[in-house]
Amino acid sequence: MVQLKQGQFMQAVGNAAEINELLRRYGVKFGIYKNGVFNEQFFPFDPIPRVITAEDFCSIEKGLVQRVNALNEFLYDIYHEKKIVHDGIVPEDFIYISKGYLAECEGITPKNRIYSHISGIDLVQAKDGEWYILEDNLRIPSGASYPLIARELTRIAAPNAFEENNIVDNRGYAELLKETMENANCGGIRAILTPGRYNAAYFEHSYLAELTGSVLVQNDELFVEDNILYHRTYSGGKTRIGVLYRRISDEYLDPLTFLPQSLIGIPNLMEAYRSGNVGIVNALGNGVADDKGIYYFVPKMIKYYLGEEPILKNAPTYLPFYEDDMKYVMDHLETLVIKDVAEAGGYGVVFGSDLSKEKLEEFRKTIIAEPRRFIAQEVIDFLDLPIVEGNETVMRKADLRAFVLSGEKTKVWASGLTRFSRNPDSFVVNSSQGGGFKDTWVLSR
Amino acid sequence: MGTISLEHSDRLYWLGRYTERFFTTLKALGRVYDSMLEEKKGYQDYLACFGLADTYSDSREFIRSFLFDDQNPNSAAFSLERAYDNGIVLREEISTDSLSFLQMAKDTLKRAEQSSNVRMSLLPLEDILYSFWGCINEHIYDDEIRNIIYIGKTIERLDMYIRLKYPFDAVEKEFVRLCKNLNRVPKGTPYRYSTKYLSELVEILGSESDYEKDGMKATQALCCLFETSEAAV
Amino acid sequence: MKQVNFYYCAKLTFDDYVHNHSFALRVIPPETETQRLLSCSLNITPYVSTQQTVDAFGNNVTAGYLKGDHRFLDFEIKGAAQVDHTKHRTDYMPCYLYQSQYTKPDEALKEFYEEIKRECTGTIAERAEYLCAALANTVVYEKGHTDTDTTAAEAFVLKRGVCQDFSHILISLLRMDGIAARYIAGLAFCDGETHSWVEFWTGDHWEGIDPANNCLVNDDYIVISQGRDFRDCAIDRGVMFGSYTKQLQLVRSILS
Repeated sequence: MVQLKQGQFMQAVGNAAEINELLRRYGVKFGIYKNGVFNEQFFPFDPIPRVITAEDFCSIEKGLVQRVNALNEFLYDIYHEKKIVHDGIVPEDFIYISKGYLAECEGITPKNRIYSHISGIDLVQAKDGEWYILEDNLRIPSGASYPLIARELTRIAAPNAFEENNIVDNRGYAELLKETMENANCGGIRAILTPGRYNAAYFEHSYLAELTGSVLVQNDELFVEDNILYHRTYSGGKTRIGVLYRRISDEYLDPLTFLPQSLIGIPNLMEAYRSGNVGIVNALGNGVADDKGIYYFVPKMIKYYLGEEPILKNAPTYLPFYEDDMKYVMDHLETLVIKDVAEAGGYGVVFGSDLSKEKLEEFRKTIIAEPRRFIAQEVIDFLDLPIVEGNETVMRKADLRAFVLSGEKTKVWASGLTRFSRNPDSFVVNSSQGGGFKDTWVLSR
Repeated sequence: MGTISLEHSDRLYWLGRYTERFFTTLKALGRVYDSMLEEKKGYQDYLACFGLADTYSDSREFIRSFLFDDQNPNSAAFSLERAYDNGIVLREEISTDSLSFLQMAKDTLKRAEQSSNVRMSLLPLEDILYSFWGCINEHIYDDEIRNIIYIGKTIERLDMYIRLKYPFDAVEKEFVRLCKNLNRVPKGTPYRYSTKYLSELVEILGSESDYEKDGMKATQALCCLFETSEAAV
Repeated sequence: MKQVNFYYCAKLTFDDYVHNHSFALRVIPPETETQRLLSCSLNITPYVSTQQTVDAFGNNVTAGYLKGDHRFLDFEIKGAAQVDHTKHRTDYMPCYLYQSQYTKPDEALKEFYEEIKRECTGTIAERAEYLCAALANTVVYEKGHTDTDTTAAEAFVLKRGVCQDFSHILISLLRMDGIAARYIAGLAFCDGETHSWVEFWTGDHWEGIDPANNCLVNDDYIVISQGRDFRDCAIDRGVMFGSYTKQLQLVRSILS
């Protein structure tokens, strides 16, 4: 038996073409709009797994549990007493200018005080082996279904790899998700709310519904009566829904509370939620905690709420809002990456090294004029991972989205979604940008 | 699960219909293909069954269009696409496994288009379709819900058989099958039959002579079978 | 202190049948330090089962669902309240310090604030009264130019508007000046329909100011709801299905 060390696993598990053919057959696709036309695209799978040693996983796991627990405490605090603001740890402005803060959620306490039931935490490993947190996703993080179904297939295609290595079985995700949903259940069936088959993540919505035995629903099958959420059955009856795993953003969820023009929401869902008659996974208003500006404060939150030292590091981050940080940013702008707090996804990200002298000067002025709008980070030297390209193995940038589920206990799924970029010069590992994914192996010893 | 919405029950019904339309079309085209070995314009009878004009330059063009052209609403490819469209939104009801057979069928049909022996390469479709139905039977646990997809399937088969002028005994068997399925539907649910149109069907399909005379009327009655009595007034 | 009887009714009429109609009404006045409800009854026709909750801003929400076909929804509320503006409300929320959807200023409104801010001095109450007066000198009360979707910035360009627009502009100015402010929907003696005005935070309590009449609020005002702006205070919001083309709303209110 070979004990694997980090980065040593360069061997493809099974035949890439074969496995990709199988994935296609099982419908592993994501939707994408190109020039206004909907297309289903295949999400390419790379057969060389990312391997995380037992030792590494142990510290990642502890760090993620700690981080997500602190974030849940933070969310409860922000929507109730706001102690962290009164105590001067997080400046008020960073909370209330955040688009993710929803005043409508003030005072609402979800069942068991859990806000982020399913957290997708993005990490990267630096060349020196250290793991860094890049981003927290506490709204509707997607991607768990891909490594889940890929594992099912690689175990068929390459049984030896699983016989010879001590790999933790990751297929318990469905059971974990079911437990998490049940923990948030306020009495009734489990349902997964999808915006419809033309959503990019529709495969995931339907696959998770199948695996967890939940009903997959769209808004027109639901209604709220007497502040209870119901599924309208085909024979004219109604079935009560106790927990709704919604894959629709907050502002579209209830047209009577948020955007009135939303056609994919459920009127008065907010009233049912406020009354404690339905659990919503994840809770509304979580955006305030995964905001780029708030990211800086997460290590401080861990100390403040848990009285612990953070186990996992943030990428070194500076807030021009603070004088010392502003000075550092002004002096080192050409080596930093600057992110616009208000922008989402890959937008509003500028690498200082890409800017000309004049542009740098211009950008300095912008930052001085609106210091709250930006955060600055050191550029991390990623550890590249091998991928198969044609007949050879090449090295590419990759990140890891770890899934943390908060039910009775906070648990880290012993796997995750490893996304890589096909483009050798790109740091962007997004599926819509032509990237692919890998299985993530966690070794049991 | 025990709860299914009207939207999903409709999808199930149409999944049954389109899957069956695909299968019956494929089989019927197989026979046309066979007859064309001697009779070059052997496909004209098939077109006549659907009231379509012969706009095809030869049998090859006809067969290409009716097998592979997903823009032709009477083609096998078109029906399969619609079946897949309905299936994709029913994953948690019919299972990923059932759905994978529709994807396989699509892939097989696509490959057959490039093949030098089309009929030969279409053969696996029969295995795939039977597997699909076996899988559906295994996975839909609730009898009432499973019955909906079978109603769709049987109605489509009956409709196609009548249009293709299949012999009376074949039609009669399918009609008996349909009546059994219909009797399982509880009153007050969407797939409960309308008494008016069912008695019309019984009349037409009750004897060979009536079938031969009024067969096409039966297809109209099939269309209206689930109209509620209020709507029919 | 004053005892006030209030009556308010609204009639929504559709030109064709609608069904699966979900609605949320914010019509029952809240019990606060400044107003005590002596009696209050809400009547909705056609008959529908409803539920009461209190939203994040302290508003009473009446939610209901009318499944079957109907062509109208009427509601009327009547009651009596004891109003006492010598007492003060203290239900502060930090979000009231930040601009919201309707109050976000554009360049013109920001410029206006910059022009007048030199004169805007003194206590918070004095500054609020100054801003209210500056607004009254610039914008004219005139119906028919704005509607419920009009923002502060849009109304300011028109230099005309109704109570809702005056409230939004004043809230925008107050927030620019660093004073927390909120929107109030309610009933007042000066108006035959519903009225709206503004409350600003003095540092330890709320004070009411009526920008449409450029005066302070007294015991002739009854609060129905409050929030960041009109969006949080809409009397009724609803979603319904059917092939109706227009929805007619008649409103009447009486204070005595």
